[in-house]
Amino acid sequence: MSAATIGKYAAFARISATQASRERNELYGRMAFFAVILGVFSSLWRAVAEAGMPVAADPKSLVWYLAATEWILLSAPPIHIEIQAAIRRGDVVYRLGHPVSYALAEFATGFGLLAVRAPFLGLTAFLCAFAFTGWTPPLTALLMVVPFGFVASTLITALYLGIGLLAFWLQDVAPVFWVWQKLMFVLGGLMLPLELYPAFIQRAAAFTPFPWLLAAPASVVLGTHPVTPGALTRHLVIWSGVTAIAVSWVFRRAVSTVTINGG
Amino acid sequence: MPRAAAVELNQLSKSFRVRRARGTGVAARLRDLFSGDTQTVSAVDKLSFSIAPGERVAFIGPNGAGKSTTLKMLAGILRPDAGDVRVLGLVPSRQRRQLAFQIGTVFGQRSQLWYQLPPRDTFELLGRVYEIDAREHRRRIDALSSVFALGTLVNTPVRHLSLGERMRCEIVASLLHSPRMLFLDEPTIGLDVSAKAMIRELLWTESEREHVTLLLTSHDTGDMERVCTRAIVINHGRLLWDGPIAALRRSYLKAKRVTLWSDAEHLELTLPGVRVLSSGAYRTELEVALEITPLGPVVDAALRQTAIRDMAIEDAPLDEVIRAVYATAARGGVPS
Repeated sequence: MSAATIGKYAAFARISATQASRERNELYGRMAFFAVILGVFSSLWRAVAEAGMPVAADPKSLVWYLAATEWILLSAPPIHIEIQAAIRRGDVVYRLGHPVSYALAEFATGFGLLAVRAPFLGLTAFLCAFAFTGWTPPLTALLMVVPFGFVASTLITALYLGIGLLAFWLQDVAPVFWVWQKLMFVLGGLMLPLELYPAFIQRAAAFTPFPWLLAAPASVVLGTHPVTPGALTRHLVIWSGVTAIAVSWVFRRAVSTVTINGG
Repeated sequence: MPRAAAVELNQLSKSFRVRRARGTGVAARLRDLFSGDTQTVSAVDKLSFSIAPGERVAFIGPNGAGKSTTLKMLAGILRPDAGDVRVLGLVPSRQRRQLAFQIGTVFGQRSQLWYQLPPRDTFELLGRVYEIDAREHRRRIDALSSVFALGTLVNTPVRHLSLGERMRCEIVASLLHSPRMLFLDEPTIGLDVSAKAMIRELLWTESEREHVTLLLTSHDTGDMERVCTRAIVINHGRLLWDGPIAALRRSYLKAKRVTLWSDAEHLELTLPGVRVLSSGAYRTELEVALEITPLGPVVDAALRQTAIRDMAIEDAPLDEVIRAVYATAARGGVPS
């Protein structure tokens, strides 16, 4: 890829980041939602522990675990919604007519949004989790969660891109997204570490990318059976490759059979 | 040596598969849920024409005629099912990216501007997309902003622009990379009279100044008359007419509109081929079928009744001419 080509996609990321920084309300909404979620779950884990019910980890580290998984998930912009809207409105004709790859341009646009959201939501996660627990995980754990979480969030953005491209056939990708979201919830270990799930779910999750997107980077803060950076890197690279191949196949199929809405 | 055509279509065809609706009722709707029953709809059917560099061509047809589908095939966005198409010597479906550097597109009902940001941000992005040298790009933005009278609009968020202002910015965005060919799909749709006039004037001027070939689809005959010199009329994806707009009028205008302002309050004209369209005090509007009765005898007949204070002779509006083209085709006639 030449410097000029990289410059094109960097320009998409830049303009998207500029737009995101001007549309602050959505970001503030996400930050507020994040604070509420962490507040509710920190109370829940505390109540569970005080009731003497068995919890696999310390309630404080569970709150930090949730802060990490939610940070990864909420930072990834749901670009499938905008892609679907552009396909339904027919605006996609402009981007398909530009001398760029539509899929890469959309991904770069999503990355620009992610680059704005991640720092703000990360700060929210840190401050809220600290406020609700009065404790922080070791610095080494946090230093590992941040880069791996950002990469995982980027990979989730790429998966949203793949879901969005399905709108070329389906027009409405909401059902696909719902299925994806539920799988993320369960197999990704969004609310609870996978160790707390039945063994068959843990075995099933091992064959999917979901645990490597949420549970694995976030479980570093639990301090129990932490995943090694090498294993995390290896799996994120593998799933990034699989995602890239799948999305580019979907995109090639889409443009070869594309029909554009509206005259 | 003859110059290569800017656009060349030969027997171009495109069809789409659409779901066949079974009808109404619960049973039919349930069957629809599980049925993959589709039908093929032909959008463009063996369409052939060519456009010379620098020409300004109106591409006319009713809704669903295949205009936008043709435009999207010319831009390389859709792939033809059959036939050949070349734009500026390139095959759009195979050389889309190379072609994209040389063409511009304006879709009146779509937008390429970033909604929350000023147009300048989109212009800067397009400079990168089209790999334009930064200094040249700034010069181009300034020049086009001046021609299109954008002024402070370039720094105003798009969401605060009126439709007419936004459309001027959309056209500038499409011209930034100095395209040799511009495809315009309903560029004045929804605009008020003055905004339409401005867009038409600017398109004409820019095409003249930079020798840009224009292919314009519109339902507004004003766009065609003020911007274009040639018309291509299609319906059901097939070519109905191709020639100068003036010739289109001559071929289909078998009648003139004559308005007479007379000393007498009412005129009684009962000549063959003459139809009274409206009759008010001292003013009579006629439609005269020239093949049956020339204008001379009509005027003579009016003068025999009363003195004529003023008179206007007009062609029928282009709308009617185009309706006549469609009607002739619908009757199975061959447009001449």
